[in-house]
Amino acid sequence: MTATSPYARVERPRLLQRANPLAVAAAVAPGIVVAFTAPGPATPCALLVLATLAVAAGVRVPTRHRVLVFAGPVLFTLFASLTLGLWTPADDVAGTPLLLAAGPFEYRLGTWLAGLAISLRLGAVLALALVPGVASTGPDVVRAAVQNLRVPYRIGYTALASFRFVPRFSRELAQIRAAHRVRGTARGRGPLAAIRRGTGYLVPLLAGALRHAERVALAMDARAFGAHPARTERILLPFRGGDIVLVAVTWALIAAALWLPLSVPDVRPA
Amino acid sequence: MSTRPATSGPVRTGPSGTVLIRADDVGVRHQGHAGFTPAAVSLTLSAGEVVLLLGPSGCGKSTFALTLNGLVPQSVPAELRGAVVVGPDHLDATTTPVGRLAEHVAMVFQDPDASVVTGSVLDEVCFGPENLLLAPDEILRRAEDALRRVGLWERRDDDPGILSGGGRQRLAVACALAQASPVLVLDEPTANLDPAGIEEFYATLTEVVADGDRAVLLVEHNLDACADLVTRVVALDRRGRVVLDGPARDILAGHADELAELGVWLPTATLAGRRLRDAGVLPPSSPLPLTPGELNALLTGEDADPEPWSETSSAPAAGIAGTPEPDAAPPVVQVDDLVVRRGGHGLTRRRREATGTVVLDRVSLRVRAGELHAVVGVNGAGKSTLLRAIAGVEPPPPGAVRVAGLDPARADLRDLASRVGYVFQNPEHQFVRHTVAEELAHALELRGLDRAGTDARVDDMLGRFGLRTHRAAHPFLLSGGQKRRLSVGTALIGGARILVLDEPTFGQDRERAAELLTLLDDLVAAGTAVVVATHDLQLVAEHATHVLVLAGGRVAAHGPAAQVIASGTLDDAGLRRPPLAEALHGTRWSGVTRLADLPGPDPAGHTEPDATALADPGTAGPPTAGVATLPEPDAARHPNPGARA
Repeated sequence: MTATSPYARVERPRLLQRANPLAVAAAVAPGIVVAFTAPGPATPCALLVLATLAVAAGVRVPTRHRVLVFAGPVLFTLFASLTLGLWTPADDVAGTPLLLAAGPFEYRLGTWLAGLAISLRLGAVLALALVPGVASTGPDVVRAAVQNLRVPYRIGYTALASFRFVPRFSRELAQIRAAHRVRGTARGRGPLAAIRRGTGYLVPLLAGALRHAERVALAMDARAFGAHPARTERILLPFRGGDIVLVAVTWALIAAALWLPLSVPDVRPA
Repeated sequence: MSTRPATSGPVRTGPSGTVLIRADDVGVRHQGHAGFTPAAVSLTLSAGEVVLLLGPSGCGKSTFALTLNGLVPQSVPAELRGAVVVGPDHLDATTTPVGRLAEHVAMVFQDPDASVVTGSVLDEVCFGPENLLLAPDEILRRAEDALRRVGLWERRDDDPGILSGGGRQRLAVACALAQASPVLVLDEPTANLDPAGIEEFYATLTEVVADGDRAVLLVEHNLDACADLVTRVVALDRRGRVVLDGPARDILAGHADELAELGVWLPTATLAGRRLRDAGVLPPSSPLPLTPGELNALLTGEDADPEPWSETSSAPAAGIAGTPEPDAAPPVVQVDDLVVRRGGHGLTRRRREATGTVVLDRVSLRVRAGELHAVVGVNGAGKSTLLRAIAGVEPPPPGAVRVAGLDPARADLRDLASRVGYVFQNPEHQFVRHTVAEELAHALELRGLDRAGTDARVDDMLGRFGLRTHRAAHPFLLSGGQKRRLSVGTALIGGARILVLDEPTFGQDRERAAELLTLLDDLVAAGTAVVVATHDLQLVAEHATHVLVLAGGRVAAHGPAAQVIASGTLDDAGLRRPPLAEALHGTRWSGVTRLADLPGPDPAGHTEPDATALADPGTAGPPTAGVATLPEPDAARHPNPGARA
């Protein structure tokens, strides 16, 4: 079982894991729009914190995912703030304290803050997108979509079956690369040689993929997939009152975060 | 059925004997093909029967199996003539939707990977009943019952991907059971499994059919594994017409010659019994055995004083196998205390190697010219890793391996490839050009050989491997056997005298596997050193000069084939003794592992029948460099050992 399994079973689920996956997705969706469009850096910052707190309280995150989920958005924000700031025109930040100088190159507080303003938005989007990502499993998303959104089950469950292709194809690709290396096609450096090699892998990979997809399709047909207009849903995921409350509360919090910039001072000199 | 020539007794049926499926003169023409294969199959399946469908490669066995639940012609584009009638309501399988037929016919396919669509064992078993719109309670009841019957109930929460191959095929059986279909069709269910998986699968299937409420149609090449279970055998000829139909024992034992003539593989015990009967060891009236146990009983019955197992497992065995150690010749492959670790972490290579898990632990090996070393072991024993280290596919630690004077850890890949050829499990993976001729020329072009020299060697190779008429074809459009031969040809064309093959027989039927091993025999006879990893232990016993048994990354045994097979290390390594060795255990022929070494009507005839059996006078050119010329048609007669006797 790989760490990125879309099927991982949840022991003792917490609030967000018990909620309908569609409700979790609907709750954070406006947050993503707000994080992009909010006027100042305070709103995205608040959203980032809120999303991380929501995961901490509402999801039992497996140990191996904890660094990614909790530190990932923050580390990304800090790293991106340092580099994104370099795109700021020097004149815009001329008056702010100098942090670092190397010859003609100057890195000022304003440079960093300008970068931070952008990276906070990206970090907030990342943190928000992680909430439904860690709260819901792949099969539950498909079940909820089929049951509540009337997505045709043939599409939903076929998509789910195709998750199974990923590890198989990555194994096959590794085999093909080794085989082509032995045949002496892996020579040359640089992007052109890499593209040539890549197209060489494509034919055997596609041939194998098509054959496999055909076999899977036959096996699913043989097991009565598509026999009836509907199929039994053994696990029901109705949209309950609690889900509505969850969405409403989250939307209220996001709206509140929109008011924050009014009370946070702008560090830039006028 | 009374019209069939072979029906010499009443067909054994279950308690009810109800006919569950009837096929009348079924012929199938695949889209884009000219002829109907199978041509005409008539067959009924009744409750309680386990019917084995036999026939040479390409006779349409699997295609026929797919007509029973309507996949052919509904999901696979094809034209079907004749009729398939399913269930008590006499549903027409060509027009009734496949989903509806699934209530009557369930299927288990060859590739365990292709049938898994969900994330847990329980969800997987529920998938079929859910599609049938059953109530959740009923689905769970069926799922539990099915999983308990195949012994997987305790693993219901596991991801099917972590089950072994045998486990996944048992899961496929559970899925079929949960559909509650009275007919179970198994299409080469063990072709992708190792010996332990095959045994596990058939043990489960035996329990499932014991109730006698189902009919089973089995397409299977490994008759040694399933002969016990089968109640009735139907044999097709090369065009796909029924030629024999009757109780399993009557057909397999009573019509062994006709089956061998058809190009059908017989159980090893039957082949051995036939040989011994022809040699006068067994009386002419003696019934032919189907399983190793039956042959053993016949022989120990003959022998008043069977020799004890331990005494016969040493020196005479090596002599029988005819593999004298050519100590004078220097080894062409030399592996000394090879240690390979994987999955380590750290910044330096030394650190990574120290933290990784040991895949190969102090493995040593010598291979000389003209030897065929079979590397055997359960999945994960390190077979592929050893082979890859020898050929430099994954460079080994420096100094541990020498191949034809080169160290794969340091040598240039091009130099290495001209001395050691590597053949991957799936031949398609190693094709890099767009025609068969270019594919063969590839290695020579890389080495800068001139045009005339390249063409001459390509022509020679095309002739040797029976690919001359396919010179301009795309390698992907060849048949399975042709692809395999082309992959061996590309590995050898650079002049390599060492050939390394990683499970070249995986997923192939016995006929293809034997064709390949016969090709290797010829290469070995011409002085090539061959190292091959395989699961098919009877093939190992028939063709290998030496056997290396790997267990948990260590060498459990290595030596002349007959000695290793007789020594019992195979059992210790989680493998099974090949059927012939098992049958002869404790008899006068203990230690004999090859059919050809048993007394037969023509004791001298076993030295080169393979090449003569293969050479079709119509298409064969002159043999080159000791390598037999293969006939062009892929469906040509194969060297069934049965044909020799």
